[in-house]
Order: sequence, then structure tokens, then C-alpha cells
Amino acid sequence: MSGLESYINHTVSIITADGRNFIGTLKGFDQTINIIIDECHERVFSTTSGIEQIVLGLHIIRGDNIAVIGLIDETIDSRLDLANIRGEPLGPVVH
Amino acid sequence: MLPLSLLKTAQSHPMLVELKNGETYNGHLVSCDSWMNINLRDVICTSKDGDRFWRMPECYIRGSTIKYLRIPDEVIDMVKEDAQAKSRNRTEMNKNRGGNSSQNQRGGRPGGGNRNNVGNRPGQGYRGAANNAMRLGGAAGQGNRLPHAAKNRK
Repeated sequence: MSGLESYINHTVSIITADGRNFIGTLKGFDQTINIIIDECHERVFSTTSGIEQIVLGLHIIRGDNIAVIGLIDETIDSRLDLANIRGEPLGPVVH
Repeated sequence: MLPLSLLKTAQSHPMLVELKNGETYNGHLVSCDSWMNINLRDVICTSKDGDRFWRMPECYIRGSTIKYLRIPDEVIDMVKEDAQAKSRNRTEMNKNRGGNSSQNQRGGRPGGGNRNNVGNRPGQGYRGAANNAMRLGGAAGQGNRLPHAAKNRK
């Protein structure tokens, strides 16, 4: 069984091949790691202002485009002060 | 829940598709297949930089060029009904299968455990085929699966 099974219905962070960061609830996946992510937000990092959260809703992300899927600890995540965190945005995957 | 079942459920709904090259396509999903190839109707294409737009009555997008699809929130609740109906069908089919396999075992025993085994192999194969036919018959018995069963038989 895939290791992703235990992430279902939990909050996950997805880093895509184009360097974006999506946060949301993992609702499903298949053998090519296409995923369903519900209540999806994008977190946009910047060095000059805090993290901007963009609400996106229900997404299917194609497996080709997924680099990392990580489980989020919701209690720690809710303590984050996003408005005061600065960081370089990630670049895309270079082939 | 499988991403492709969600996509199938989203047929006739509006959606946004972003391609790997950054272009986005807004339109209503007409159809999709198991490679995520999709047909859209009443499409607005937006260039990567977001400052050029093209309207087209329909388009076909190869699945492998898709980065992600954004789907209306309510579609996920519609899949749940589908999935429940399917899993109910599946448990019924499994019950049938259980019955078949126990018959199969009983049939297989006399030949098992000695050299006669070799002679029995074709027999087991035949039984397997019969079993498959029964399974197809069982599937055909459930009205909504009839088209699939018919397709499999060809």
C-alpha cells in the first residue's frame, strides 16, 4: 500500500515542479500520484512582505507536476504568523 | 477517491485548466478519458503572462500537458454518492466471487498434491474460464454495468 494512504483526509503541503506551494486536505490519489486536494490554498513567499495565502478551492494536481507531498501538523501550522514570515520563493525544477 | 473519478463527475461543470506551459483554459468539461485527455466547450484561453486572451467554441487538451485542474467545490460531494453506489456493487460482486472460488477449490482438490496435477492443469484452466464467464454474467445482472460487461466480452 502506498505511503500516501495514511495522509488521506489530512492537511498536506504540496510542492510542485514549478516551485509553488499548495496546502489543503488530501482527498485522493492514484498510481501516477495525481491527487485531489480540497480547500486548497497557495502560499506565496516573498522576501519583502509576509506570506500571502490565496484561496483556490478544489484542485486535481497532475502527478507529473508534483515534487513533494508533506503531512502538516495542524496545531503547529495554526501557530504560524504567516504575515511576518519572509522567504525566497522556490524556483522551478531544473531538468 | 480517485482523481479521475472526480474529473469524470465534473463533466458539464465549469473548470480552469492550467497547462505545464503556464497557459490556462477556462471552459465547461465535455468529456475526459483515463489519460486525463479532456474536451472543453466555450473556452477562454489565457496566455502565460495573463495579458492575452483567445475565445474558442471548443478545444481538446492532451492529458500529459496538464499541470492542474481547478474544479467547483460542490463536485466532490457528488462523487461521494457515485463512490458509495459503486462500493455497494463491489461488495455484492465480491460475495459472488467468494462463492465461485470456494466451488473452484472443491473442484481442484482431487487433482492436487501429486503427479496427476500436470494432467489436471488444462482442466483447471477451463474451470477458470467458466468462472470468468460466470463473473461476467453476474456483472451483466447489475443493470448499470451492462455496457462494461458487453465491452469486455468483445
